[in-house]
This record gives sequence, C-alpha cells and structure tokens, in this order.
Amino acid sequence: MLSIPILGVSLADFGWIVLGLMAMFGALSGIVLSLTWLERKVLGRLQRRLGPTRTGPMGLLQPIADSIKLILKEDIVPSSSEKAVFWAAPLIVVISAFMIWVTIPGTHAAVVKNLDLGLFYIIAFAVVGILGLVLAGWGSANKYGTLGGLRAAAQLISYEIPIIMVVVSVAMLAESLDIREVVNGQSSYPYLAVQPLGLVIFFIAGLAEVGRTPFDIYFAESEIVGGPFIEYSGAHWSVFFLAEYINTFAIAALVALLFIGGWAGPWLSGNWGIVWFLIKAYGVVLVIFWIRGTLPRLRIDQLMAFAWKVMVPLSFLTVVITAIYQFYDWPAWTLTIMSLVGLVAVAIIIFRKMVGPANQVAEVWARQQALRAQTAATEQRTTTGQ
Amino acid sequence: MINSLKGLWVTLVSTVNGLRQPVTQQYPQTGTFWKRVDTPTPVKDRFMGFPGLTWDGKIDEPYCTGCMVCIRNCPTLCMSATMKDNPAHEEGHSHRRKIVDSFEINLNRCILCGICVEVCNFDAIAMTHEHELSNFARNAARMDLPALLELGQDFQDKTGWIPPNERAKKAKEDEIENGDGVDNPEPAPENAELEQA
Amino acid sequence: MAEERAQQSSSPVAGAEPVEMLLNMGPQHPSTHGVFRMVLWVDGEKIVDLEPHIGYLHRGSEKLCEGEQYNQVITLFDRMDYIANFNNEMAYCMAVEKLMGLEVPERAEYARVILCELNRIASHLLFVATMGLDAGAMTPSMFCFRGRERIQSLFEAVSGARMMHNYFRIGGLKEDLPENFNQLLTDLLPLIHEDVEESDKLLTFNEIFLARLKDVGVMSAEDAIDFGFTGPCLRASGVNYDLRKAMPYSVYDRFDFDVPLGLDGDSWDRHYVRVQEMYESLKIIQQALEQMPEGNVASSLGRRLVRPPKGEVFMRAENPRGDFGVYLVSDGTDKPYRVKIRPPSFCNLSAIKHLLKGIWLADSVVVLGSLDIVLGEVDR
Repeated sequence: MLSIPILGVSLADFGWIVLGLMAMFGALSGIVLSLTWLERKVLGRLQRRLGPTRTGPMGLLQPIADSIKLILKEDIVPSSSEKAVFWAAPLIVVISAFMIWVTIPGTHAAVVKNLDLGLFYIIAFAVVGILGLVLAGWGSANKYGTLGGLRAAAQLISYEIPIIMVVVSVAMLAESLDIREVVNGQSSYPYLAVQPLGLVIFFIAGLAEVGRTPFDIYFAESEIVGGPFIEYSGAHWSVFFLAEYINTFAIAALVALLFIGGWAGPWLSGNWGIVWFLIKAYGVVLVIFWIRGTLPRLRIDQLMAFAWKVMVPLSFLTVVITAIYQFYDWPAWTLTIMSLVGLVAVAIIIFRKMVGPANQVAEVWARQQALRAQTAATEQRTTTGQ
Repeated sequence: MINSLKGLWVTLVSTVNGLRQPVTQQYPQTGTFWKRVDTPTPVKDRFMGFPGLTWDGKIDEPYCTGCMVCIRNCPTLCMSATMKDNPAHEEGHSHRRKIVDSFEINLNRCILCGICVEVCNFDAIAMTHEHELSNFARNAARMDLPALLELGQDFQDKTGWIPPNERAKKAKEDEIENGDGVDNPEPAPENAELEQA
Repeated sequence: MAEERAQQSSSPVAGAEPVEMLLNMGPQHPSTHGVFRMVLWVDGEKIVDLEPHIGYLHRGSEKLCEGEQYNQVITLFDRMDYIANFNNEMAYCMAVEKLMGLEVPERAEYARVILCELNRIASHLLFVATMGLDAGAMTPSMFCFRGRERIQSLFEAVSGARMMHNYFRIGGLKEDLPENFNQLLTDLLPLIHEDVEESDKLLTFNEIFLARLKDVGVMSAEDAIDFGFTGPCLRASGVNYDLRKAMPYSVYDRFDFDVPLGLDGDSWDRHYVRVQEMYESLKIIQQALEQMPEGNVASSLGRRLVRPPKGEVFMRAENPRGDFGVYLVSDGTDKPYRVKIRPPSFCNLSAIKHLLKGIWLADSVVVLGSLDIVLGEVDR
C-alpha cells in the first residue's frame, strides 16, 4: 500500500525524505545558532573581551534573542528596488545552502539522501548561491550593493576552480564521488597525510568561497558597507546570515570529511561516529574564526591575482600528482612528498608575492638609517665648520 | 607569511590570556547569570561628574549664597539662580547674609568643565561622581535646588568631601606648624583681588 | 567635466567606453572617520574623480571663542581635535602666554609635556586601531583601545575627565598632579610599551597589511610640502620637520629623541612613522619624569581674570596630526577679538583628491585612514 509513487519515489521513501529534510533543517538551525554564539564568544576571548554575557548563562541564549529581534524587525524594501528580485535573492542563497547539506553525511547512516555523485552535486549547488548574491546586489538598486554583487561573482567563480580541482584529486584517491566512499577510503590513513597541499588549497579557497576574513571582500564592512546585504533588514537579512553560517559549516564539514577522516575515530563507532564528525568540523570552524580574528582583508585585485596565479595552477598540480601516483601505483608516502613539495612551492610563492613589500620595508629602514647618519654627519660638519 | 603566522600566534596567546583574565568588565552588574551584583563604575578621586550643590552640615543650610559667579563664568550658560535674605542670619545662626533661593542646572547642556567649582568663593558647588543620568523625559536632566543638593549630599557622604577653602586653610596652618610659612602669616588676599567680569 | 573625466579614466579594456558611476561615500559610512563625505566617480572599482565635502561637524568654534573669556575658551579647544585634547589646550595656552609674556612654572611645563606626549600616544594608538579596522583587521583595534584606556584612566586621575580635560590654564595648570602620579606613570609606561609592541606584531608587518598599504597613496616630499602637509604625514614622505626639534617650544629642547622618517611617503610609511613616534614619545615621557622638578604649578595670575594686552600672536605646536597653529587677536578685553586655527587635519585632508585619483575604491578607505583626520578639527 506504500508503493503509491509520489514524484517518482514510493510514499514511504517520500515520507523518510521529508522527515530527513526536517531533521536536517532543525539540526542546521541549531548548528547556526551555536556558531553565532561561538563566533562572538571566541572573537571576544581572542580580543580579551568577554563576549555575550547577559542573556542566559555565558550568554548562551544570545543567538535566540538575536533571531527573535531579527524576525520582529521591520522588513524594509527600498522603493526603487526590483521587488521580485529583491525578495527572491535571499531565498536562492539560502536554498542552495540547504541543498548542499542534503548529501553531506554526518555518519554512514545520518544523511538525508546519499548520492553516488555527491561531490559533483555539492559543487554544482555551491555555484547557485552566487546567483543569489548578484541578484541581491543588483535588485536592491544600491551602488554599494551592485559593487558587492559583482565582487562576489568574480571572487566566488574564481575560487570555484581550485575547489573543483582539489575535489577531483580527492575523488581520484577514493575512486568515487560518493562522500561515504571517500570517508571509507580514509580508513587506513586520512587524506590529510597524503594531500596536505590539497587540504591547504581547499581550506583557503573555501574561506574565499564563504567570504570569511581575509577574503570578506564582497561584503567588506569598511569599504562597501555590507555589499549585497546593504539594503536588507530583519528577516531577509537573517536569511542571508543563516546561509552564510550554513556555508561556513559546510566548508568545515567538507574539510573534515574529505581530509580528516569524517566520522572515523577511535572508541566511537556506528552512529556515534557523528561525535567525531562534529568535533572535527567545529575544530575547523574554530580555525576559521581564529583567522578572522587575526588577519586584515585583501584587495579585490590581489585576491583575483592570488586565485589565478597561485591557487589554480597549484590545484592542477594536485590533480597531476595524484594522477601520477594512481597510475604508477606508487606507495602512499610518495604522494605525501610530492604534495609537500607543492605546499612548499605555495609557501614560497605566497612569500614572494607578499613579502615583496616586507623587503621594501627592510630597505626603507636601511635607507632611513643611512639618511639619519648622513644628516647627523652634515650637522656635525656645519657645527664644526662654524 | 611568517608575520601572519606570528600574528596568529599573538592572537592565540591573547586568547589564552583572555580566558584567564579578560580586560573588559561587565557593567552595571558583575557576576554570573545566576548571581548578579551591582557594581558601580570605579572612578578616580578627581573625577568630574555632574555638578551638585553642597550642604553645610554645621549650620544646616546650603553653602551657596546665590552670588551667581558660576553662572557668569559658565561657558555654556547652563545654570540660573536667584538669592534671598537668609532668615537664619537674622536669627543669628548663620554668618551668611544671603542664601540661595532657587538654582537650576540643565545637565544636558553642562559640559563638565569644572569652571564653576573653580570660581566659586563659597565652596558651594562641587563636581560629584555622578555620571549616570539617562532619562526618558527630555527635560528630566534639568535639576532644581533640592535635586542638586541631593546630588551634592550624596557626593559629600560618599567621599568625605572637605570644602576647598578649609583644606587650603588647613594646609596653611600645617605649613606654619612646620615652620615654613612663619614669614608670611597674612591670609591670602585672593578673593579680594578677584576681578568681576 | 564629464568628457574630461572620461579622458582621464583608464578603462581596463583599451578603446572601450568607460562606464562611470557616481558613488556617494559618507557622511554615514563606517570608514570616513566621522562625518566626512566624498562623492566619487568610479569606473568599476577604479576611482576616476572625486569631490570631498566637509562641514558636517561645523560648530563655529572660532566664532564661539570670540564670545568666551580666555579661560573658557580652553573648553572649546578641548573639542577641536577631540582625540588629542591636551595638545590643543597646550597650543592655545602657549599662544595666550606668549601674548602676555607669562612665565610658566617649571613643573607645570614638565607636566604639560608628559601629558601631551601621553596624549600623542593615545591618539596614535587610536590611529593604529582605525587603520586596522579600515584594512579589515578587527583585533588590533581592541588591543590598541586597551592601551588607550590605560592612558585615559591616568588622565582621569590627573584632570578628572577622560577626554575633555580642561586642565591646562593660562600660565600654569589647574591644580598640581596627584600625589601618586610618578608611581602611576612608572607603572603605566611598560604596559603601554607592551601594548604598542603587541599591535605592532599583529598588524604592522603582517603581509596582507603590507600588501594593502605599501605603494598606495604615495606622496612625494615635494608634493607633501606643496600641499602643506605637516606632522607624521609629512615625515612619512621623508621631510625631517618636527616642530619639537625645528622650533622647540616649552621644554622640548631638553629631551633626547629621534624624529622617525619614512622614505616612500605611502600609506604604510604614514602608519609606521606613527608607530615609531609612540616609542619616541615614551622616551620623552621617561626623561621628563626623571627631570621633573618639585614646586608650584599654579599660574602667576592667580584667580585674576586673564586680560592680555592689545596685540596679536601666532603660536604653533606639534600635535599628533601636525602643526596646530593658533592665531589670536586681542583688543585688551577679557575676550579674544579673533581666534583663527590652523588645523593640521584640514591641511592634510586637502590632498585627498591628489591621493585618491586613479586608485582602487578599496584603497580610498585605507588612504583616508592613513591621513588620520579628525573631523572635529577639520570642520571646527
């Protein structure tokens, strides 16, 4: 009796999927709430502040208070905006953010719908969110918004390529695009050990993908005042906010799944593996917050140069070395060495690119000292001359 | 690269220190969520909060005689006062011939410069340590005589305020006792010299 | 005008028609340091032309001075450059003292120098904080505010107010420094040194920060002099000109300190010169504390009304932002006849068009931040 097909699946399956989606929605909302609290608290402690303290013990109820405030706020739609686009943009962003999570597994079983082409699906949907940002920037009829939307398009599309290439190299190692298979492939050693270069590229590109410092260029608060989100308020803005945190956690989860072994870990097995998964993902999130609390922001041209001159070639390099390793069936440590060599290459390139100014500084110092000595000498000469 | 890593190290150290000993403190209450304690903001001795009028406890009347020196010297013209004959003087309790009748300071206009305290000859006005006077009403920060006296009384009780003139006199006496000021025993004729604007 | 701009604009595609957009930045913008407003013509992300607008914070301070007695005017000077209050008071008091030919007690001079240098550090710390924020780093600002907070609580112990002190008087100080001042200051100096160093480690040599600031908004020495730059902005271009050395006022000729110079005159140099200046200020404070004599600080005028003779005077002082000049005309009454101020921020800001043309939109924020303007002083 449960075999009545709805949208091509049986009623039972359909029911399970709906239930799974609800559970995913609930879990993600909880994670987002925890992340907002964690970010404020971590940044506070990092800056020797207290962070939220007034709402609940240790300010734990702060995200709830925030969300109530945001929902109750007046939702202002600018009169000159393109109403339909303005309304649709946050939905596109948040739906694509949620859709990614359909196929990200917490454990072997804790997944709404596992897809054989899971990684492909994730990358495909990650790009859809950009459309929402561009539409938001354009639809709000604000020049800062437009600038932000265009910056977002440029930035996110550039950083898609390294992410795709790294994912390809991981898929080559696991010989599957199914995330479960990728995690199972790491049973003997995590891919972190053989692909450190891939991890670094994926993490940096991921930061750029979710617009975290030092790549928070498309909503740079001190320059374009929030970019695409500038005209949004209340519930609409909170939807963007939700999507941003879901994406951040998605990147953290993907790093955990693709490189640190996902739910695999000592002592806990079966569905309890989700504890390991959460620990790893939250650990990556903490690193993201830590970086946010330390580094300044890049400029858009420097960001693009970094993407196309450093990240893209190196991500191709990861694919190439993985292919060589797979083809000749060398032992795993060879890949580690090749990857590390690549990593050193990244370091040197970044060093060269970034340290140019620092060398100039040293030079300036030297010249300054010389100048000072020179002026002192001339002063002495004039005084003695008198 | 290296300096960025160094920066990451700095923030990590800062986090550890921040967990142990944060720099900021909670306001206006401290403590945990379960137990909150009212903690007034610590201020220094010389802190200049809103001006209040002081109360002469010996004679039981305000120091202020309503001479309007402070009003003339206020850069923002935020005060006004009137004076009257002092009934206590006629009865012989007080040495003040005139006494303040009404006094009003608009604390919204006050810029806390302390000039009024400096020019006052009768120790009648003091910069209290009060600095929290947010109100809902627009004119609630206009303070009349009783309110100002209350402000000043509170300040006197809390800090053990000594009138500046008395303090100066005492310092002079100490000096004489120590043998430094024997040569110039005449009192400072400053007030007599004070030119009126 | 439009055609002229079109010619100037450098479109990324050769031969393509430049598409210009008029972008209004400020007065409500987080990075315009108050209520400064720029109208920018941008071609994509490049600034083609701009028009600065000032005056949103105009309070008519110069005119107000004419209606106040000489002692009351000090409160107005507190509010000109509201980041460096003591320095402003110092410049004004020195101007009136010069007009009256007043001698300031030795101890008062030393106290003034110490407080002014502390205020310079506080001001530069705020500069580093906002520079970090403009470049997108939020933590240095918190660290710098911690140091500034420490200095301000010392100010509170000295003058009774954290910012609007009204502590200097014509010919002296309002009252003597607190009894434990030496102890407070000796405790404070290493802490401030630590704070400055920490923000230095975190921000100044960070590669991203360097990449953002180096070779951005370059001002050559000739241009800097032509535009009337003073203070750290001028010294960043490599011109060795510091009033404390060039025309020593107060007791500055008794201290041994260096004048930090930049060579390229870019935004990073302007940042780094200020960072180095903080160390130099610490040196000055240390020496002043050792040399400070005991004694009287009160003005020889006592509580008499200040009535300078007829005449006019111009006095300059080295503020954290540059030369702060006070031109004063007295007609012999108790109120100044005319007060004219030469605000360093205003003169430094006048080069904004020269600096911003043709650079990235994101850099406009950084360059504006590196000039370290205070709108209270620009608009007066």
